[in-house]
Amino acid sequence: MASVEEQFPDLPTSGRAIPSFGLVGWRWISRNPAVTITPVLIPFIFLYFLSLISPPSLLPLEIVGAMLFTMQNIGSWVLGDSATWRIECSLQDMFVASPLSRLRYLFGVAFSNLIAMIPALVVLLLLLTWVGGMRGHPVTGLVLLTLFVSLFTLWILFSSIGIAISSRVRTQREIWPVGNLTFTLLGMLSPLYYPLSALPPIWQDAARFLPTTYAALLVQGALGVTPATPTEMVLYAGLLGLCALVGLVVCLRLYRWGEA
Amino acid sequence: MRTDPPATPIRQSRPFGGTTAFLWTEVLVQAHESLAMATSMVTQTVLLVFVYILNPGLIGVALIGAVLFSAFTLGQRVLNEAAYIRIDHKANDLYLAGPMTPEGYFLGIAGGILVVYFAPIALLGTLAVLVAHLSLTTSLALLGLAGLVWLFAASIGYIFSTFFRDNRAIWAYASLFFNVFGVLPPVFYPLGFFPVALRPVALLMPPSAAAALLQSQIGATTLSTGQTELALFGLIAETVLVFLCAIYWARRTVRGP
Repeated sequence: MASVEEQFPDLPTSGRAIPSFGLVGWRWISRNPAVTITPVLIPFIFLYFLSLISPPSLLPLEIVGAMLFTMQNIGSWVLGDSATWRIECSLQDMFVASPLSRLRYLFGVAFSNLIAMIPALVVLLLLLTWVGGMRGHPVTGLVLLTLFVSLFTLWILFSSIGIAISSRVRTQREIWPVGNLTFTLLGMLSPLYYPLSALPPIWQDAARFLPTTYAALLVQGALGVTPATPTEMVLYAGLLGLCALVGLVVCLRLYRWGEA
Repeated sequence: MRTDPPATPIRQSRPFGGTTAFLWTEVLVQAHESLAMATSMVTQTVLLVFVYILNPGLIGVALIGAVLFSAFTLGQRVLNEAAYIRIDHKANDLYLAGPMTPEGYFLGIAGGILVVYFAPIALLGTLAVLVAHLSLTTSLALLGLAGLVWLFAASIGYIFSTFFRDNRAIWAYASLFFNVFGVLPPVFYPLGFFPVALRPVALLMPPSAAAALLQSQIGATTLSTGQTELALFGLIAETVLVFLCAIYWARRTVRGP
């Protein structure tokens, strides 16, 4: 029996997933400006609320929390996109039939959603530099490095969670509640907007199982908001990597791509 | 020669006809959305947790705010549901081709959602009564004001739902609208924390107007007579106006003669 290549000699067998999905992401936000405005504004709405009810000294910590929360929310957007394309547009069958692998699809969707979040992250970083400088917590090279490592890890992890869940939802109606529940709860359980020590002991124990906790502790330690020794910083980085790895393995096992 | 019988004209309903029937239809639909019901309190819970951890003294005010915010976000559910029926199921034409009136359709969706999501709001209300030590009068005022906020939000939600052509865009816009009006103004915190110059604006927004009136009842905020009148006027006048607009818009957007 003739192979696919013999039957269809013009069929492309490779492609550039990231630029293609980058274009998809750009077209999406250029047609719907609120898609960019919403992730920029929502962390600020929460930050404003928190600045009113909490001590001013916590503001740098809360800005870091908003950055991590924004990156974590990409998971919800990945979930929404992937599920809409599969359920409403029936596009996933076409992706599966194409040379695109499931990992490249995951990175493509994650990248297209990252584009909408970048303005929010840039504004928050500028705010952190300004507020941190004023409050004695300057943004140093170490802070930038830990921020990059934490944000990058959360981007991959939460995009994987989003796409794994998206492959399991059955109707459009489920997308929003499932995303809202999963990502808001994960964000709330981790000490993103408050120090870990402010949480009740049992909550602290539960939070230690979440990668976002170590991302927050790592950046907070580098910034000097939550004191941490170099050994503790290395430990936080290691635990962030370990939690992310475990999470990724679980997600990839849950993630349904083709019929098989 | 065989001819088709003359078409029987559809009996015109009285105003608001079909509201009850569609309300119970919507109750049955929504009652199957256990996941959505489970997530209806997520944002409120997050904000209450923030207050509990960072400023526990404000938990009473925040619980009252959570009740009003919950009533307000039911508008987002009306928006989602009306858009979903129209865009995804394409069933609104079918519903509206029958004797059901357009306003009955809108109120049916809004009422059905209220019935299904009332229990978690009532639970929050009970917590607010117990924690903030609300008197019977204040508790009844909370119920009434939450009802007005619900009517305002449901009307806005229905009007907005008619503008969308794509389900995917709804979340971004709806989330922005309901967070800007529900979290930013003093709903979960006292009016006194809000900048003085912007307080009249807050008193003209239904959720924060209702919250300010209740905060003044429990002594968390002091309102002058002018501010009380502004809050009351803003809440009642805007709710009536937006409700009438929603009825007009529902009738206006029905297809056909």
